[in-house]
Amino acid sequence: MTAPTESDIDIWDDRILVDPYPTYASLREQAAVVHLPKNDLYVLTRYDAIRDALGDPETFSSTSIGFNLMVNEALQGTSLASDPPTHTQLRATLSQNLTPRALRGLKVTIDEKADKLVAELAASGSFEAIDALARAFPIEIVADLIGFSGHVKDNMLRWGQAAMQVIGPLNQRTQESFPIAGELYGWCSSVTADDLAPGSIGRGIFDAETRGDIPQGSAGHIIHQYLGAGVDTTIASIGNIVALFGRHPEQFELVRENPDLVPAAFAEVLRYWAPVHIWGRKATRDVEIDGVTIPAGAQVGILFGAGNRDPRHYGNPDSFDIIRNPVDHLSFGYGPHGCAGQGLAKLEAHAIIEALARRVKSLTVSGELREPSNITRSFEKLNLEKVVSA
Amino acid sequence: MRIELDRPRCEGHGLCEEAAPQLMHLDDDGELVIDVPEVDGPDLDAARSAVRVCPVAALRLAAA
Repeated sequence: MTAPTESDIDIWDDRILVDPYPTYASLREQAAVVHLPKNDLYVLTRYDAIRDALGDPETFSSTSIGFNLMVNEALQGTSLASDPPTHTQLRATLSQNLTPRALRGLKVTIDEKADKLVAELAASGSFEAIDALARAFPIEIVADLIGFSGHVKDNMLRWGQAAMQVIGPLNQRTQESFPIAGELYGWCSSVTADDLAPGSIGRGIFDAETRGDIPQGSAGHIIHQYLGAGVDTTIASIGNIVALFGRHPEQFELVRENPDLVPAAFAEVLRYWAPVHIWGRKATRDVEIDGVTIPAGAQVGILFGAGNRDPRHYGNPDSFDIIRNPVDHLSFGYGPHGCAGQGLAKLEAHAIIEALARRVKSLTVSGELREPSNITRSFEKLNLEKVVSA
Repeated sequence: MRIELDRPRCEGHGLCEEAAPQLMHLDDDGELVIDVPEVDGPDLDAARSAVRVCPVAALRLAAA
């Protein structure tokens, strides 16, 4: 007999990771907070509870954003895993190259690259969209941004996937990914300014360290976070854009007719399929939410995708409707730890949507494959055929 | 009510400007300028929207 606010599911079960929304709906109807004894975890399921928790770092500490001890120890001293006031300076250092004002100069290049890639793919008539587009594009953008090439660029996909995977519980996926995440960590610890292209943001971060503008030794950490956080998530989002336009041709047609809808379309893609399943916090005190108490010290899991489909907040939440323009979706998080790279993510995704709207008249998804993954939810394969150039 | 900005936290994402262009704007350097800090009447709704959409919770409304 489980209590009404308990569930005996394993939130990292393969079937749930691949198709989490039915589980999210039943957890959300149970309570705003549901205890999962199998995972030793309290999950937040409703929009308001999630947004309030993200806005309250005193109660919901980021010292336990991961779901195993090793990863939380490895992340100590990063902005990701720290609380205010320490967090404030680390965050400023991390985000100063990622703010919309800092990225303005990149927009033209990113738009041109997206247009060229999408035009070539559209002309081919059929292609596999994950390798050729969802992975190729962000990896090239991030490589240019940080200023690396060669073997590092070749490893970026597996390093970025592993960096996310190890945030999960100590399951097989996490254990297999630790050595690969270690390769990324090792490279970031040993990279020097001379390894990075002159004029790149990565080189600029080392120059800032040399000038004393940021603490000694922090440049490698910052680059580690850019690569760990900025690859797998953006890949998931771009794959989701293509898949959702394939499933909802009438929504794609709206964007083709009115490119002003591009930002709204991306916000709805993020709301409808959250690229990140779950992210951790630690309760610093007993905290009661809608009648359920999370005990002090408990591990909390934030289910962004469950909050994004909460009917208490979004009407008809299970329909994909770009007109709703859900600017307050939870997929970038919220508050002091809100995604630092969201400006760059939007630049990349808007460029891809604009290019698709300009270059493609229609597309058909002929096959798709998802693999279970601890933290991010993305397609492994997405075959497109009958792609008609505009 | 008064619109208060946590300046160090603001990263210039600009969603507030889209929600309430009559109350605030990003300047040429991407710094947020609150043009109308004291709000009431219809402006109050726009100010609430701006506070709501800030992705990093840098804006709040306080009693004037």
